Amino acid sequence: MRMKLRWLGLVLLLASPRLGRAQDIKLPADVEKLSAKAKETVEVTMDGPMLRWASKFLSAEDPEEAKCAKLVANLKGIYVRSFEFDKEGEYSSVDIDALRAQLHSPVWSRVVGVRSEHDGDNVDVFFKLEDDKMSGIVIIAAEAKELTFVNIVGPLEVDQLADLGGEFGIPKLNPKTLSKEPKGDRR
Amino acid sequence: MSVDNDTKRTEDALKHALRRQDAPDGFADRVLARVAAHNSTEAPRGYHDSWWQLFTRPAVRWATAAALAAALVAGGLHYRQVQFEKAQAERAQGEAAKQRLMLALRIASSKLQLARSKVNEINADQTENHEEKE
Repeated sequence: MRMKLRWLGLVLLLASPRLGRAQDIKLPADVEKLSAKAKETVEVTMDGPMLRWASKFLSAEDPEEAKCAKLVANLKGIYVRSFEFDKEGEYSSVDIDALRAQLHSPVWSRVVGVRSEHDGDNVDVFFKLEDDKMSGIVIIAAEAKELTFVNIVGPLEVDQLADLGGEFGIPKLNPKTLSKEPKGDRR
Repeated sequence: MSVDNDTKRTEDALKHALRRQDAPDGFADRVLARVAAHNSTEAPRGYHDSWWQLFTRPAVRWATAAALAAALVAGGLHYRQVQFEKAQAERAQGEAAKQRLMLALRIASSKLQLARSKVNEINADQTENHEEKE
């Protein structure tokens, strides 16, 4: 009888919505522990229902919030971990490699991969394609004193997301105004 | 003659039966005690009746109605206050969730911008090198 109950419990657990969560990328345990070392940690975990609920509070009259509402309308989840450290070398590249390894699958395409030996900034952007449609994006930004992992699940317009930068007070990029000083340190 | 005798006997029997006789000792005390006991058992019923009779007075009826109305109003106000506080708490939670969502999008956007700027830097450098070679 007890065995049957255990099996029933297991079945219920497997059928529970938590396991069916949209996030299919798992952060390595060591990355999750980085918050103990970090000066600042940002942790955002928003599943579909939470996203929909939060977006109800976005004002349609505010242009920025209206853009956000449009952007998140069809998303299934947003997961962000960002750690800012006082000094360099607080996280291991092994953890980042473990994270990248999860994205080595046919559905994921690395569209940007920058390795800078000059300032140590490494940025990877992966798109998830399903039926020739974008259904997710993962950004791994490993900077000298900052490590950021972003996973957005669901269909979205990348340009719309990038354009939000200007709206949030981050100046929009203009190739003509970009610094041309660092040279020959990228691969 | 025998008829006279019979009549006489009957009269004697009646006289004997209806003769005056004194009550037994303590009879009057027992009767009074029973009457007192009977009155004492009926007392609560009389009290109950008098409690309800309070409501026959108009002043008491008005006071009761006013108290009930005041209780209803107080209950309604309390319910409204609870609902208001609940809505406020929900709104605060929603605003916090919205801020988290905006923060997540801001971070995602800034990192995309970082990637874009790195790519643009590389492109600009490559263009510059190409022009220098030419």
